[in-house]
This record gives sequence, structure tokens and C-alpha cells, in this order.
Amino acid sequence: MPEHKFAIQKPALTPFNVVAGIIVVIGVVITGIRFTQGLAATTNLSDYNPWGIWIGFDLLVGVALAAGGYVTSAACYLFGLKRFHSAVRPAILTGFLGYALVVFALHYDVGRPWRLPYPFIVQSGTTSLLFEVAACVALYLTVLFIEFTPAALEWLGLKRARSIVNKLTLVLTIFGVVLSTLHQSSLGALFLIAPSKLHPLWYSPYLALYFFVSSIVAGLSMVIFESTLAHRYFHDKMDAEHLQETDGVALGFGKAAAFVLAGYFVMKVIGLAQTNAWSYLSTGYGLWFLVELLGFVLLPCYTYAIGVREKNLKIIRWTAAWTVLGIVVNRLNVGLIAFNWQLPSSERYFPHWMEIGISVFVITLGVLAYRFIVTHMPILYAHPDYDKH
Amino acid sequence: MTHTINTLHDFMLRTEGITYILIVVALIGFVVFWRFLTDRDEDGERLGADRPGGHHH
Repeated sequence: MPEHKFAIQKPALTPFNVVAGIIVVIGVVITGIRFTQGLAATTNLSDYNPWGIWIGFDLLVGVALAAGGYVTSAACYLFGLKRFHSAVRPAILTGFLGYALVVFALHYDVGRPWRLPYPFIVQSGTTSLLFEVAACVALYLTVLFIEFTPAALEWLGLKRARSIVNKLTLVLTIFGVVLSTLHQSSLGALFLIAPSKLHPLWYSPYLALYFFVSSIVAGLSMVIFESTLAHRYFHDKMDAEHLQETDGVALGFGKAAAFVLAGYFVMKVIGLAQTNAWSYLSTGYGLWFLVELLGFVLLPCYTYAIGVREKNLKIIRWTAAWTVLGIVVNRLNVGLIAFNWQLPSSERYFPHWMEIGISVFVITLGVLAYRFIVTHMPILYAHPDYDKH
Repeated sequence: MTHTINTLHDFMLRTEGITYILIVVALIGFVVFWRFLTDRDEDGERLGADRPGGHHH
């Protein structure tokens, strides 16, 4: 990638920068209120609703959508599908930023950041699912950081350190897949403890499996979705290999997503049969469940397949965006909407505007970090001084 | 069609019975869907093939 491309100075006061700046300022103010006046001043949480969108959206959705890292690196380095190589670095970066922001956002919900290491030093037992999630997320964030460092080290010109980290690629990929399998499923398994609180249509002994399998779909779709956005806004940062492989990545990942979605759909229907929850389908919640199952699982499964058959990238890219939305809907359903479903509407949770403000703030930080890294480091192109690995 | 479930046996008979039928349908469905998904791969340009450049168009 020629260096002169980075020398082009763009005006600082673009509409994006202005909006992002306003969001960051508001986010910092809310952060101050949250950590000085507590949850009551900034959230609608209560004893009935001890978690809200900071868990249901920032954490559950964030972890699912950050799955592109392990999915892509596994496809490339474990399954040997080297034609997806150009997608690895953007996917690892998205995964790393996703997990970093999950941990960052978790502080708002949990509070007392200095107690972050407590799961490892003060805890009541290692059989807790939350301990497993904490351990896996901490370890996987470290793995993603190390997987991301080659790009940063190339940018900094630290060739020796980069070559050492490069030798760890395969081990890190295996470690990443193992850790992701564990904690993606454990996030679903957390809800197994509350069968009376989660609506029967969403509660299932297979929740752990649902979360894990849907995270694969989320990862595949997020890579296509992110690649589409990167093409639109960072086209000038891409080298020939990246531009050449992009369509193949979308088609290959679209095909995989179609098949995994088909499996996920079957598992969801079998889950209904196992819990004998058919009768709930004729209720209001049942209608919403069918919207999720048919609209956000079966429909994208079919449209992905059509896109792959017709080699129609437009259909695949729109389907990827739709599927990402479907993952958001699913995690919000399990975490919030179908949770505490028997409470009277006056006791149900609806997020405070400051909770939404923090979620928007966190996403904006992610977009800004992504933009900075992609603009400065060899993410969408191979650095000319190094061999690709 | 209403079913009265009085015993665990009734419940297991119903849920496992439906599950087994669904699994048979799903296994056949997967094969059909896989063929639907891939039957155009062979015509000239195999998108799945790893080759120099790795690109189709």
C-alpha cells in the first residue's frame, strides 16, 4: 500500500466527526453520573430487573457479533481455507474491539472496576457459569490482543517481535476456538438457572447450543457485513489481494451461514418439541417467537442460499445485515424481552435514556477505534515489508 | 387436536415421538438443502475451489 495514501489530509470537522464528538461528550458526562451517583440515577434497573441493555445488548449481542474472529481464523488456519486469508485481520480486529468494548461496557453494569480480577481471587467456586464466562472472556480478549498485534507491530516497525508473534498463530487460533466454544455457549447456559423467568418458547435445555451455533452465524454474517461497510468507507485502504478475495469471502461465508442457519432452525424446532411448548405459539409471545424464527432464521437461510446459487453478492450482503439484526433480536429476546415475561407491564423493564446513551457511546468508541486502526495499520492490506502468514 | 398428558410416560411419548419424526425430516431436508445450495458450483466456476487468485468472476 503506497504511503502517500495516508498523507492525504481530510478536514477534521466532517459530519461524522461532529456527531461522534457529540456522542463521546454526552457519553463521558453520563459516565461521570453513573460512577458518582450510581445505577439508580442512570438506569431503570430494579430488584425485578437486575440487568438491562448493558447486559442484554452490550454484552450478549457484543460477544455474539465479535465471533467473526474465531470463525474466520478457524476457517483460514484450521480448515486450510487460505482464500479467506484477507478477511482474517479485519475479523480479528472486529473481534478484539468487540470483546474489549464488552469488558469496558461491563464496568457500567457491575461498577467498582478495581474488582475486575475478583472472579480469579475472591470467588465461591469454579463451577459457576459466570466464573467460566469471566475466565474465557479474559483469556480470549488476551488471545485476540496477541492475534491483533502483528498488524500493530508492522505499523511500529518491530520486525523481530512481529515474527515471534506470527509463530504463535496456529496455537492462538486453536486456543481462540476452544475459549469461544466455551463462553459463547455458557452465556446461553446462564439462563438455564431461570426456567420460571424465561418464556417457555425461549427457554430450552439446548440454550447453550443455541447460543454457540448462532454465534457462528453471527460471526460469518458480521464478517460479510463489516466487509461491505469497509468497502464502502475504506476502499482506498485495500490492496489488490483484499479487493480480489472479497467476493469469494462473501460467497463462501454466505454458503456456510446458510447451512448453519438451517441446522440452527432445526435445533430450535426440535427444542420446541422437547419442551412441548407448541401451545404458546398461538399467543402474542408466540407471534413474536415466529417472527424471530421465520423472519430472522428461516428467511436469511433461504436468501443466503439464493444469493449463493445466483452468485448474487447484493442479496448476500443484505442478508448478512438482516442476520446481524436477527442476532440482536434473539439476544434481546432471551436477555430482556422474554425474560420476566410474567411480570405485570408496570414492573417490566424499559431502558433509561442514559442506558441507551452509554450503549451508543460504546458503539461509537468502537467505530472510532476501528477507523483509527484501519487508517493507520495494515488491516485491509498486506504490509509490503512482510510476508503474509 | 388436544392431548391430555397425565404421566411422565405420556409426556415422553409425545415429545420424543415428535422429535424423532422431526429428526428424520431434518436429515432428509439437510441433504436436499445442501444439493440446492451447491448444485450450481460445478458449472464451470467452482467458487469453493482454492486456487491462485481464488476468485471467480
